[in-house]
Amino acid sequence: MASLCKVMYNVSSRSSLLPKHCVFTTLRSCSSDASGGDGKSAERVKSGFAAAYEQHSGLRQSGDQSSGDETSFASLLRRSALSQMGPAKDKIIVGKIFHIVNDDLYVDFGGKFHCVCKRPPADGQKYQRGSRVRLRLEEVEMTSRFLGATVDTTLLEADATLLGLIESKDSKTKE
Amino acid sequence: MAAGVLTGVRQVLRGPRLVSAVFSCHGQTFSSAAAAPDTGETKILNFPLTQPDYFRLSELFTLKDLFEARVHLGHKKGCRHRLMEPYLFGSRLDTDIIDLEQTAEHLQRALNFTAHVAYRGGIILFVSRRRQFGHLIETTARECGEYAHTRYWKGGLLTNASIQYSPGVRLPDLILFFSTLNNVFQQHVGIRDAAKMNIPTVGIVDSNCNPSLITYPVPGNDDTPVAMEMYCRLFKMTINRAKDKRRQMELLKGISASV
Repeated sequence: MASLCKVMYNVSSRSSLLPKHCVFTTLRSCSSDASGGDGKSAERVKSGFAAAYEQHSGLRQSGDQSSGDETSFASLLRRSALSQMGPAKDKIIVGKIFHIVNDDLYVDFGGKFHCVCKRPPADGQKYQRGSRVRLRLEEVEMTSRFLGATVDTTLLEADATLLGLIESKDSKTKE
Repeated sequence: MAAGVLTGVRQVLRGPRLVSAVFSCHGQTFSSAAAAPDTGETKILNFPLTQPDYFRLSELFTLKDLFEARVHLGHKKGCRHRLMEPYLFGSRLDTDIIDLEQTAEHLQRALNFTAHVAYRGGIILFVSRRRQFGHLIETTARECGEYAHTRYWKGGLLTNASIQYSPGVRLPDLILFFSTLNNVFQQHVGIRDAAKMNIPTVGIVDSNCNPSLITYPVPGNDDTPVAMEMYCRLFKMTINRAKDKRRQMELLKGISASV
């Protein structure tokens, strides 16, 4: 099962030919060399796992070619982070501060609107323009329908709570 | 309501034809202003109109660029304007998504029209009432040598211009609206006034805007800085390209006349 998973991972990650060769040799532990695996396998009749592997790699190649235009709007939208995220409630996201007014931090996280958060009392001075922060998103756009109105009133802002700074590069290089 | 959508479409269709009629009149006046009909001058003015994409504006942007600039994001379902429904791809978790394939076509038409107006020496006015992007729009207008109005719009600016300014003042030949709403979410007065004064308009319409009176609506996001920067960059490049082309054609005409 583990070896099957490893093959599927290799197949899906479009890795170079070398890992596939390695998988072949580990399974066919009889005597085949790492090099010239393709030439040798063409001579022998494949059975069991080898046959299934060939079939799946063939399927994957044909799947790649027949998959729709990758630059069509529908496919771009389907693969976008905002669609993959799902409902915005309580999602943890990363944003970047693009403007500061005294204690208000304007954070852009890739949505239509930005969100405004108060500078936290702890490590206040570390929040500068360009800092990346972690946010818990509540709403992508704060809107509400008031009594007697025909359309919603929008605040032109998103709603998120500031969780903290992303680890800076200094701490990463230490590791 | 279907009638409302139909009139909107018909007005959009009528717009370009009206404008081309206006332009042919302009062509006539230009040639009559010069003493004898100058074939070089008319050729400079008429030849670009025969080509579908004379300024090659389709290479300025791709659908992927529009997507990465978040142009497809609209407001929430509750803020939607009824007349924007044809331009929407759909709505995902209550957020409207604007169809970028339609946006790309509309943007191409709008840029082409702007380029032709700039080529013929028209005055272009950039208008927006979004305070967040006022400075960006003013600098863009300055960089392409055109005009901007991002402050409070006085009542008779276009309709009462001969009294508020001076009797023979020249009005803009094209008005670009980077956001068609004012600060209280009502339609900008300039759209109605431009329609009254027969001035064609190009407008970025978001999912809560009314696209009816705008000659070349471009459905798209008007709230994100990335999207606005992209529009400003595109319009600036179009206008500069058109003006450079005009200077080039004039030079060529000068060379061929002297030869």
